[in-house]
Amino acid sequence: MTKTIFTQSLVAGILAAIAANIYNQIYFFATQIDYSNIINVWSLIALNLFVSLVAGILYWLLQTFFRIKGAIIFNFVYSVGSFACLIIPLAITLPLSTPYPELFPGLTVPMVFFPVIAWMTIDPLFKKYKN
Amino acid sequence: MVGRDLETHKKDPRYIVKLKTNTMKRHAYLLATVALIAASAFTFIQSQDWKIAEGYSVKFDGGDPSGEFTGLKGTIQFDEKKLATSRFDVTIDVTTINTGNGMKNTHAKGAGWFDVEKYPTIAFTSSAIAKTASGYEAKGTLEMHGVKKEIILPFTFTGNTFSANLEVNRMDFNLDDGKHPKMMPSIKVSIVVPVTK
Repeated sequence: MTKTIFTQSLVAGILAAIAANIYNQIYFFATQIDYSNIINVWSLIALNLFVSLVAGILYWLLQTFFRIKGAIIFNFVYSVGSFACLIIPLAITLPLSTPYPELFPGLTVPMVFFPVIAWMTIDPLFKKYKN
Repeated sequence: MVGRDLETHKKDPRYIVKLKTNTMKRHAYLLATVALIAASAFTFIQSQDWKIAEGYSVKFDGGDPSGEFTGLKGTIQFDEKKLATSRFDVTIDVTTINTGNGMKNTHAKGAGWFDVEKYPTIAFTSSAIAKTASGYEAKGTLEMHGVKKEIILPFTFTGNTFSANLEVNRMDFNLDDGKHPKMMPSIKVSIVVPVTK
């Protein structure tokens, strides 16, 4: 993985983590339901960084094998993959002590898209360094 | 008071009122005594009333899904020395089902399963309680999903806490939407109910 792709992954992960934490706070203030036993600042940072770094590795692999078309395939795979990951917050079984599991998808479903949104938002900034 | 004066006195309205008041007082004392005896006799035969305390749990395990009900209420009359007059009459609010997953909760409340619109509660009413080697057994009627069935509920009572474990065959209560053939028919139910006087 090149330094540029790694940097893009890192920045995308940090931005997604910031967005996720802001949304987490907004959701808490709106609903007053505390899901901190499952979702908290550190888990959101770790998860978003992990997903973005995995995405960076995927980008590097696709670009290595498919050259220019690699970026197009990557965008498609990342978007569809994110959409498919919707099933995770919908299907997850929470600890029984967690109140209102019905409202948990409202918190986590939008978060599923934060890494891909962050990646595509900053992608033009890194494009000239990657080509 | 000579005889003639006595006769005159008995006809005096003040004397008549006093006489009636005294008679009524005597009757009132008599009634109060009877009521007291009756009440004490009733207290003697009645079992201890218990209130369901915070921290109870009604958990079920059907593999997937598993979960709990959080809405338990009812009356518990139980005395280890007066089992003949002990009685359980409890209900569970089915809308309080929690599987840990919002979609499963909604699904469980729907027409394919508990159908809470029609059958909002699960009820157990005991008809007899007996001592066993390991604790007690409450024989009674379990009503769920509109179906009544006689069951035997084995339980223990230690430290002001009732504990019970039983298996319920959901098929007996028509709890099957036909779309989950892999789901176990037998559901393990674990009940722990702390009580206070």
